[in-house]
Amino acid sequence: MMRRQSAGQMAPTVTVGHDVPRIDAYERVTGRATYTRDLRLPGMLYARVLRSPHPHARMRSIDVSQAEALEGVRAVITYETHPGVVYGSGSIAGGRQYNDQIKDITVHRRHMFDNPVKFVGQPVAAVAAVDRHTAEEALGLIRIDYEELPFVLDPEEALEDGAPRIWPEGNLALDFENEPRPMTLSRGDIEAGFAAADEIFEDRYTTAFVHDAQMEPRSALAHWEGEKLILHTPTQGISNCRHDNARDLGIADHQVQVICKYMGGGFGDKNGSYYFDLIAAMLAREADAPVLLELSRKDDWLGTHGRWHTVQDFRVGVRRDGTVTAIRLDALSGMGPYLRRSGGIGGLDAYGCPNVERVVRPVHTNRMVSGNFRAPSDPQGYFALQSMMDDIAYRIGIDPVEFTLMNMQRPTDDVRFTNYTLDECIGTGADLFDWSARRQAAPGSDSGPVKRGAGFAFMMFRSGVGPSSAILRVDSEERYTLFVGVTDIGPGAKTTLALIAAEELGVPLSQVEVVWGDTDRCPYSVGESGSRTTTMTGYAVVEAARDLKRQIAEQGLPRGAAVRIASATPTPSTEGRRRMCFGAHFVEVEVDAPLGHVEITRYVAVHESGRILNPLPARDQIRGAILQGVGQALHEDLLYDGRNGQPLTAGYYGARHLTHLDVPEIEVTFIETDDGYGPYGAKTVGEAGIILAPAAVANAVFNATGHRFRDLPITRARIAGALA
Amino acid sequence: MKTFTNRDARTLEEAVRLAREALDGGQSVSFAGGGTDLLQLVKDRVANRPGQSVPDILVSLRDVENLSGIARAEGEVRVGGLTTVGTLAGDPLIGEEFTALAEAARSVATPQIRNAGTVAGNIMQRPWCWYYRNGFPCYKAGGSQCYSITGENGLHAILGGGPSFIVHPSDLATALTAFGAVFEAHGPSGERALAAPDFFVLPSTDPERENVLADDEVLAAVRIPRPPTGTRSAFHKVMDRNAWTHAVVSAAVVLELRDGICESARIVLGGVAPVPWRAEAAEALLEGERVTTELAGEAGAAAVLGAVPLSGNAYKVPLARTVVERTILGLQAPA
Repeated sequence: MMRRQSAGQMAPTVTVGHDVPRIDAYERVTGRATYTRDLRLPGMLYARVLRSPHPHARMRSIDVSQAEALEGVRAVITYETHPGVVYGSGSIAGGRQYNDQIKDITVHRRHMFDNPVKFVGQPVAAVAAVDRHTAEEALGLIRIDYEELPFVLDPEEALEDGAPRIWPEGNLALDFENEPRPMTLSRGDIEAGFAAADEIFEDRYTTAFVHDAQMEPRSALAHWEGEKLILHTPTQGISNCRHDNARDLGIADHQVQVICKYMGGGFGDKNGSYYFDLIAAMLAREADAPVLLELSRKDDWLGTHGRWHTVQDFRVGVRRDGTVTAIRLDALSGMGPYLRRSGGIGGLDAYGCPNVERVVRPVHTNRMVSGNFRAPSDPQGYFALQSMMDDIAYRIGIDPVEFTLMNMQRPTDDVRFTNYTLDECIGTGADLFDWSARRQAAPGSDSGPVKRGAGFAFMMFRSGVGPSSAILRVDSEERYTLFVGVTDIGPGAKTTLALIAAEELGVPLSQVEVVWGDTDRCPYSVGESGSRTTTMTGYAVVEAARDLKRQIAEQGLPRGAAVRIASATPTPSTEGRRRMCFGAHFVEVEVDAPLGHVEITRYVAVHESGRILNPLPARDQIRGAILQGVGQALHEDLLYDGRNGQPLTAGYYGARHLTHLDVPEIEVTFIETDDGYGPYGAKTVGEAGIILAPAAVANAVFNATGHRFRDLPITRARIAGALA
Repeated sequence: MKTFTNRDARTLEEAVRLAREALDGGQSVSFAGGGTDLLQLVKDRVANRPGQSVPDILVSLRDVENLSGIARAEGEVRVGGLTTVGTLAGDPLIGEEFTALAEAARSVATPQIRNAGTVAGNIMQRPWCWYYRNGFPCYKAGGSQCYSITGENGLHAILGGGPSFIVHPSDLATALTAFGAVFEAHGPSGERALAAPDFFVLPSTDPERENVLADDEVLAAVRIPRPPTGTRSAFHKVMDRNAWTHAVVSAAVVLELRDGICESARIVLGGVAPVPWRAEAAEALLEGERVTTELAGEAGAAAVLGAVPLSGNAYKVPLARTVVERTILGLQAPA
């Protein structure tokens, strides 16, 4: 790992900016960390969920008499007993997360149980019993009379006339005004842009559904103390999880306590609340006992969500000198039967082209649900757009890096940034990688079976500022306690926030204790999504620490049993300027043509994410994200059998996720700077690394083979087939 | 997980008797070695033994005496069925004399699975076809169709398929077949020793099973004849990632070389057929000849003669051809 400072001096720091092991590393590696499904409460029951075996079917009747009669079964709930329970995590429409108004008006509600069932794996009933085994046996005794309905798996087919209707309004997802309209973006004059072009290129790119595949499958432990629900659940946002569950249960926020002490990864799979929180709560109420609901790996794979698959048709106008004059994208996003997130497609904002039109249609199908996965809209968008641009660059005979420098979005009067280092990231990466020497000027020019080549991609990604809260307390022994409503999904939030407090207070890290992951003990936090905990909650910690320092300076340390407390809920703003993190990846591959094998022989990743507060986990976030991106570029998919609508490759084995043995040597370089926002200028890291990895790998495979692979994943079969 | 009863056997005779009793009592039964795959099937409620339901009884072989270990004799090496894949992978004699077998063992799954999984279990594991594993009522589950033919078949058979198009999943079986191993089964009427062609079953003979063992027969050991001096061997497994996956295509090649001339050749392919697939035409091309680059290429082409790909697995043809060619060349090169 290398670190370089961009132009301009950064103020020196004492604690942040140095490698610090996680404060909970010991608990995690020794197995002492208590995850949700490690918890045991007196009288606790175990719950299992019965799921639809059909991609689309109406339940005529449900018979639970045998299940209820099984010894040890304490509660059975089904679509018939609980038909109308909405689960409203985030909103349904258009990515307007956490907006209650949209949740109220949305027509296509998600329900805990729904009828007709719309995908294989959809919950239809649940059982709580004295042990896991009894609960599972009881599921097998529930008799459901299904009327199978026609189904559709392919988003293009789903929009054809006569396609099976998943919703009465049709299969084009409704927007947040309940209208079946595509999401559109338009700037400039697209026709004038094409008229100004010397050449126009058109191509279709597709990307596959890939699962978040976080290590810990979902679970929920619910129990009621009177009218109050205590819910242990691995969530990437205890505040939002509490609010949504309270709303769905029809009780006040203070009647729900959400606790998440340790969790095993999220990647967006654990945003907010989910239906199993409600199922556990309902079962606990029915049985009058604590209920632990556990999803198996397969339950988790099919019953949560993954990245939406896409079909992207591009039309790009270019002048002979390499100036892009117009970009049109017409795309479909496969969302499954419910719109859990927007279905948007990112990447266009990275280009400065004045004439742009983007039409994205989120489409319902009878595949499993799509939702957030690490930079939800971006790797699929960047892959397609930057493959397209790479292709154009070679076709008109310009180095793709030069072509990018001509066409990427730069600061203008209309598009202002808090700082801008994209050119520096690209230049640094090109130098470190030795781009001009390593790329094949003529793609696919190696004559032997093993063909070497190099590819490149770049990105910019929002690194916004926004409201969040922190509370700091000091006692008479000058022990500081930091209360933050965060959970640690992997990047080390607890450690980072403690580092920030220690830095601002000017005390050693060992003097700061962190209280986290409990809505009854911690203030609001924005949630571990959008890579914003460090920038938003971290800045609240800075403000709370400043307040506490001021109090101590003015009034001294507290005495005896007294404490001093400071809290902060800042609402910073960049006043219309874009705050972005930037990155460029350079990849060298060797493609063994007859074997269809891609070996990554060099990977250089350069990122500007502001000041790096803890380089150790920051580097690993980039490397982990790249490995996921490589997997999505070359391997991962969820295959369905077309005749019967059944998923075939759920789970790590089937989806072929890469393992530690597949990790290439990834050289990470951070360009550091302080733009005056966030805590000490820190920006987004967690999602940044995955955005450009599929594009960079795909471009390298093209450069090596001379064949443009336009469909992800670029599997062995596709490579060997194309090059045979 | 389906409810089952575990029975620990102390001897092979007891194991066989316990299985026989269960079957006579109308219960389904499976022998359990390491259990690494079997327990997952039980959890997923996928039937393990051909013609039976998900097992009611597991007869654990773990405590059976003298069932594990590698015994060296004059003309052969005997590997007990309960020997772990990891033990086989790390055995110095196996590594030296049966290099392809050691390489195959090292390529199996993950260290955790190799430490628990057994040699017999690896050979006896059921197909990893996604239709079978997802509970489809296919031939392998006692049904009457193979869903891969009109479905997703990228990992299915290009040789020897029909009516089922599974590929045999065992890396060890591929290598053992190349070394001419004999499979030693122990049943109610005693022992029988079967060579690979008699042990493995093509779906055209019986689409439900991959080998001839009865439900009350234990794969007690494999006996491998020690190859003559001058023998060199290698196993090449093409994998979609570097751990925990079965062969897309593999090749075990055993050559007896003398003064640069190939005296005898055994070439067996994995991942391409419902049984370890012996490429006899390729072997015949090599025997008695000096191994040249050109000849290796011809042998590769001969190895896939008669391949009939399905809609999504034609890529396996050049793959298998290349793997055979390169594995031969790797052996021919000076050490």
